[in-house]
Amino acid sequence: MGKKERVSVKICVGTACFVQGGADLLLYNEFLDPVVLGGCDIEGVSCLGGCKDPNAKDRPPYVQIGGVIHGDMTQEKLCKLLAEAVHA
Amino acid sequence: MLELNNQYTVMKRQVHAEVLKAFFAGTLEQEVDALPIKIIPKARIANRCCIYKERAMVRYRIMALMGINIETEDDELKSLSSYVSEVMEKDKHVAPILTTISTACSSCPPDRYLISEACRGCFARPCLANCPKDCITFSNGQAHIDDARCIRCGKCKEVCPFHAVVHIPVPCEEACPVNAVKKNEEGFVEIDYQKCISCGRCAMSCPFGAIVERSGVMPVVKMLKAEEHVTALIAPAIEGQFPGTLAQIKQALLATGFSSVMEVSQGAETTSLHEAHELNERKSEGKGYMTTSCCPAYMELVDKHLPFLGERRSSALSPMGYAAEEAKKANPQTKTVFIGPCLAKRVEAVKLKTIDGVLTFSELASLFIAKGVDVREMEKADLGKTDSFEDCREFALSGGVASCVLSRYAKADEVSVLPINGIDKKMFRTMKIWDKRQPEADLIEVMCCEGGCINGPGVVVKPSVALKLRGGNKAAAPVKAMRSIVGARE
Ligand code: SF4
Ligand code: FES
Repeated sequence: MGKKERVSVKICVGTACFVQGGADLLLYNEFLDPVVLGGCDIEGVSCLGGCKDPNAKDRPPYVQIGGVIHGDMTQEKLCKLLAEAVHA
Repeated sequence: MLELNNQYTVMKRQVHAEVLKAFFAGTLEQEVDALPIKIIPKARIANRCCIYKERAMVRYRIMALMGINIETEDDELKSLSSYVSEVMEKDKHVAPILTTISTACSSCPPDRYLISEACRGCFARPCLANCPKDCITFSNGQAHIDDARCIRCGKCKEVCPFHAVVHIPVPCEEACPVNAVKKNEEGFVEIDYQKCISCGRCAMSCPFGAIVERSGVMPVVKMLKAEEHVTALIAPAIEGQFPGTLAQIKQALLATGFSSVMEVSQGAETTSLHEAHELNERKSEGKGYMTTSCCPAYMELVDKHLPFLGERRSSALSPMGYAAEEAKKANPQTKTVFIGPCLAKRVEAVKLKTIDGVLTFSELASLFIAKGVDVREMEKADLGKTDSFEDCREFALSGGVASCVLSRYAKADEVSVLPINGIDKKMFRTMKIWDKRQPEADLIEVMCCEGGCINGPGVVVKPSVALKLRGGNKAAAPVKAMRSIVGARE
């Protein structure tokens, strides 16, 4: 793949995200494609602020991928978004 | 059992958090009738038939959170705010723990086996050969089941090489180990409370959310708001339910308004010692097997269905019972609130009289959200001296109780253990015959929930996640510590 920037992935583990399904995202070692996994730096972070925004269009759980915050995250959605980011 | 992470759980937690937020803001009575509309706005794409039904369901969820018995107390002409003001005045009766929402029930048709399009009408036809009732016929090149003759044994499903046979269950009926969930003449769900052991499986199984638990959250938040001295008794299963260590969870509870926090594992130590002692006595007197007594749904099962086991179960109090005694001894004025994954604990709590309230982890999660408490941001609270009961945190897992008893038993290698890891219909049938044929074991550890308490009806995360986050330091920075090995190697 050459010397490509690794994708920075921050999974919100603030309480709101964690209890609304974010906890399941922590099983990423099991559900992500190994190649995608290898191209990402994944870490858990504190509240990204999305849950506190009264005008937010989406809902917890939130994940920040390469600087952009995505809501309503599921395992499937994360697989898709990360695959796109890694192969971009 | 329904996968824990689903639309319905998400909705339920949202409703709970909104209600509790309004409660602490002191605006619940004014706001509550608008909440269903706020939570299900016009623009929402409905999962049920329409947004109006969804709003009605939110209304019922709020009633359940208030502890209202929907079956007997539902009055469509009554506003939510008048329910709320009643509940503010006086706590609701606890029993029965579960209640049904008949308008939510989809009256699922009787369970059946169906042969799908995937059938290729093969030459071998193992379905035909293995059906004990001869109810499979072939037409248009595909197999069909004669529903009237089918006895739902599932043989055809087992043998079909194309997985063409599907079983369509009635989720609630299938989940109930003791056949307490039945449908009435109109086809809507009904619970027979004479039989119900409050294990909560049906509520976890219904994909329509038609069976709900009557929450015990209101009495507790009222105590917190009145700034009474409240001791949180945290069940061993709590570790792994929130993003942080046990010490951080303790701190989060203090930040939420609890005056002190005690690990129920501390009581589990007393339970283990008591059971070890009792086991020794029974063994030396040749009295045969003994069962554990900490699972309250199992206690209900014995009382309601298997009375012959009454003398078999240990006389020890549950860990909750001992912990509550300790807490009251330390401070006779304190109110004790058990926080765990279990619904049946509330039945036990009523009997015990030393417990003033019960919360589930899921309700605690909503409480944290309502109070803006972020577990991960918490300092570490001092857990005190835990050496003597640290191993008892394993009470939360199948096998954990027996191992704690044995490690306090002098001749542990002489004891044979039988763990009952979850009670479903089949296990219930097996246990029934223990009356005639004694199980070959000295100590039987019984847990109604498969896997143990970490799989109880009130959990926040599924067991696989909880197991990952349990066990001291690793959970401190749950994700960093688990950073992908693939990534780290590069
Ligand atoms: S699972 Fe049971 S309670 Fe739920 S919709 Fe079906 S019949 Fe009704
Ligand atoms: S908890 Fe995740 S955005 Fe606030």
